[in-house]
Amino acid sequence: MADRVDDVEVANRRAPVIEPGYTFGTVTDKISAIVLKRPTSTGWFIGFGIAFMLTMMMLFAIGYLVVKGTGIWGINIPIGWGFAIVNFVWWIGIGHAGTLISAILLLLRQSWRNSINRFAEAMTLFAVAAAGIFPLIHTGRPWLAYWLFPYPNTMNYWPQFRSPLLWDVFAVSTYFTISLLFWFVGLIPDLATLRDRSENRWAQMIYGMLAMGWRGSARHWHRYETMYLLLAGLATPLVLSVHTVVSFDFAIAIVPGWHTTIFPPYFVAGAIYSGFAMVLMLAIPIRKIYGLEDFITDRHLQNSAKVMLATGWIVAYGYGMEAFMGWYSGNRYDSFLLWNRLHGPYQFFYYLLLICNIGSPQLLWIRKLRTNSFGLFMVSFVILVGMWLERFVIVVMSLHRDFLNSSWGMYYPTRWDWMTYIGTIGMFLAAMFLFVRILPMISIFEMRTLLPEAEVKAE
Amino acid sequence: MSAARTTNLDLSAPPVIQLIGRRSLYIGVVASVIAIALGFTNPQVFFRGYLVSYMDWLGICLGSMVILMVRHLTGGGWGMVIRRILGAAMRTVPLMAAFFIPIAVLGVPRLYPWAMPLESVQNPTVREHLEHNRFVMSGYLHWSGFIWRAIIYFAIWNLLSYLLTRWSKEQDTPPVRDNSLRFKAVSGPGIILYAFTISFAAIDWIMSLDPSWISTIYGLLFLAGELISALCFAVVIERILFRYKPMSELLRPDFVHDHGKFMLTFVMVWAYFSFSQWLIIWSGNLPEEITWYIRRLHGGWGGVGLFLVVFQFFVPFFLLLSRPLKRDITRLVWLAVWLICVRYIDLFWLIEPNFSTSFHVTWADLLIPFAMGGLWLAYFCRNLSSMPLLPAYDVFAKQVLEPKHE
Repeated sequence: MADRVDDVEVANRRAPVIEPGYTFGTVTDKISAIVLKRPTSTGWFIGFGIAFMLTMMMLFAIGYLVVKGTGIWGINIPIGWGFAIVNFVWWIGIGHAGTLISAILLLLRQSWRNSINRFAEAMTLFAVAAAGIFPLIHTGRPWLAYWLFPYPNTMNYWPQFRSPLLWDVFAVSTYFTISLLFWFVGLIPDLATLRDRSENRWAQMIYGMLAMGWRGSARHWHRYETMYLLLAGLATPLVLSVHTVVSFDFAIAIVPGWHTTIFPPYFVAGAIYSGFAMVLMLAIPIRKIYGLEDFITDRHLQNSAKVMLATGWIVAYGYGMEAFMGWYSGNRYDSFLLWNRLHGPYQFFYYLLLICNIGSPQLLWIRKLRTNSFGLFMVSFVILVGMWLERFVIVVMSLHRDFLNSSWGMYYPTRWDWMTYIGTIGMFLAAMFLFVRILPMISIFEMRTLLPEAEVKAE
Repeated sequence: MSAARTTNLDLSAPPVIQLIGRRSLYIGVVASVIAIALGFTNPQVFFRGYLVSYMDWLGICLGSMVILMVRHLTGGGWGMVIRRILGAAMRTVPLMAAFFIPIAVLGVPRLYPWAMPLESVQNPTVREHLEHNRFVMSGYLHWSGFIWRAIIYFAIWNLLSYLLTRWSKEQDTPPVRDNSLRFKAVSGPGIILYAFTISFAAIDWIMSLDPSWISTIYGLLFLAGELISALCFAVVIERILFRYKPMSELLRPDFVHDHGKFMLTFVMVWAYFSFSQWLIIWSGNLPEEITWYIRRLHGGWGGVGLFLVVFQFFVPFFLLLSRPLKRDITRLVWLAVWLICVRYIDLFWLIEPNFSTSFHVTWADLLIPFAMGGLWLAYFCRNLSSMPLLPAYDVFAKQVLEPKHE
């Protein structure tokens, strides 16, 4: 690959994927010690505590919702899809980076991914879990959610197979399953390392069970690598399919602002965009707190920043095309939608969206900023806000003024909407806190393959 | 080091390229003379065929430019080994600009309804649309705007081609240098500029044949198609060169495998975009959109559409899943040739139904691809022969020049 070139001038120019001076042993020590040796800090307890309390708040909000019904939310006609769908799409989008990093970059032989894939995958799982809550509770009767699945039943009914909402059920549940499998399979050799290294009897037993008898024999590794590649191949189309189906939720309808053919690729790009923003928002503090700058190097930050810049432009392309076609088509509903975005009651959010999603990533052209942790953290945050606004604009602004003036209305989220939304962020963070504490957040065995020791020498 | 190694290997293009160039020129000139002569008898038909053919060859030219820019951004031996083939195809942009002049000067009023007097527009939907939306004709779809925009597109494409070529040329002579930062500085913004320009070019030149219809994914659909054409073309040339030195020594199964993977990816991307567009429009079933498909699925055109689904997606997709095929240039090349032909049919299906509700093929559709292609290929061969087949003094050239140890 390009990075192997040993010419001095080339090597000096790019930050390494792993800082020099490590051996197989020291890499293993360093990563496993975070879980096994490092005492749990007060900071961790405080952070986890706050996240946990937010999770409780979410559960409270959901509990009240189950008692009272969806009337406690701000949804009403004409906006029947409020925060629930906005947040669902936002979270699902964030969940895309994990599989992209683990599967697609693996197939593309981008070895720099090795240090960030593990927690990106974990992040995917938690984000998809957070996303899954929303459509479930939005049904109003979550205990009957199994009706969404096609199964023979005494009521003699089937779900509507032509509805993209049903495709969503399949797409998201498949995605979650495959992501979970991929993550777990990736963990097996490392769980065995933890089993071998831990001194606590309980830890040995638990890690031992999870490691499924891994001994690291050549045959194990041979089968393992084959399976990992096959799973990566299976996961790759899912990166595209999930958000494509999510985009169909909108595009299949004939509502102006929803019914447009660019939606599938534009949603996928937006998903990867926000996913990488979340990866950076997690990676930057984690590498600082746990002293992992040698493994998650400036190169990772730079590459992620470049992915954000590229996907940001695809999103910008989508906005541009949609606006142009709104005018060019001569369709008055499409032109009105454009006018309403620029001058209507929600105009503030639309302008903010443009600043966040198109304006702020342009800062990433600056080389210095791409390696500046704080700057990158802030840009990522702004992009995450922007991507949330994008979904808000798509969902709410298209619905609130439709074809018939008499049915126009406004949407105002209630405190229950906010509590549920912020609560899912808490749940996501709580899960991340637990993850970094009990599992190796960087793939130990894949990091070892990056070392000079692992290179097969000629002759 | 690469410099030492290259002295042993003659990197210039084998004489067969000049031979192909000469023969293409003969074919091109003869076919052009016949086509122009027939063109006087029926200019309408001539320009329709001309547009299809033009978009096809333009796709190879510009697609090569994008793949080249992608290579500059990502690196890798797969791109190094076809870099000069892509470069030679990219440098045909001036020729494509020259080929555009007949469309811009003579073709516009014969092809585009917005440039015709409204009474003479055949399609009632289009006529009604233009009558109701005159602002589009004054604001965007008018002759001078069409020409000005084309000038901007060609200026951008020529500039990109010029910059990428200039720094690449430097790498043919010692000392060994690393221009990758410069290439990156052009390629990043270059790809963005290209995506916007080709999209608007596709809107101007093809989509506006039916101004009443819109699809926001249309530009991307074109982009994906161009990538297929360009990569397949590079594979074909690579196969021809593989018979001779130096390519017979440079091309390794690894690189061919990567090219095969890209073919698979591009075919899938194209299918993904096409399917998305169809599904969204079909399910929306709005009169202003679905008419486009109705035109293309009836009166014999439906057969062509089905042919594309099967032969531009399913067949290549399943064949390309095979690992041995992707690694064997002598077999992969046949699929590449096939896809280049199917791409032409795809463009034919996109463009021709605008003019006729029933399926028909004219002499122009069969003759002009050869006329234009002959001249284009001659120019391409001249470009390919004018530079060594590998920039030997690029620091990364040794990825190709030196065997890899795995």
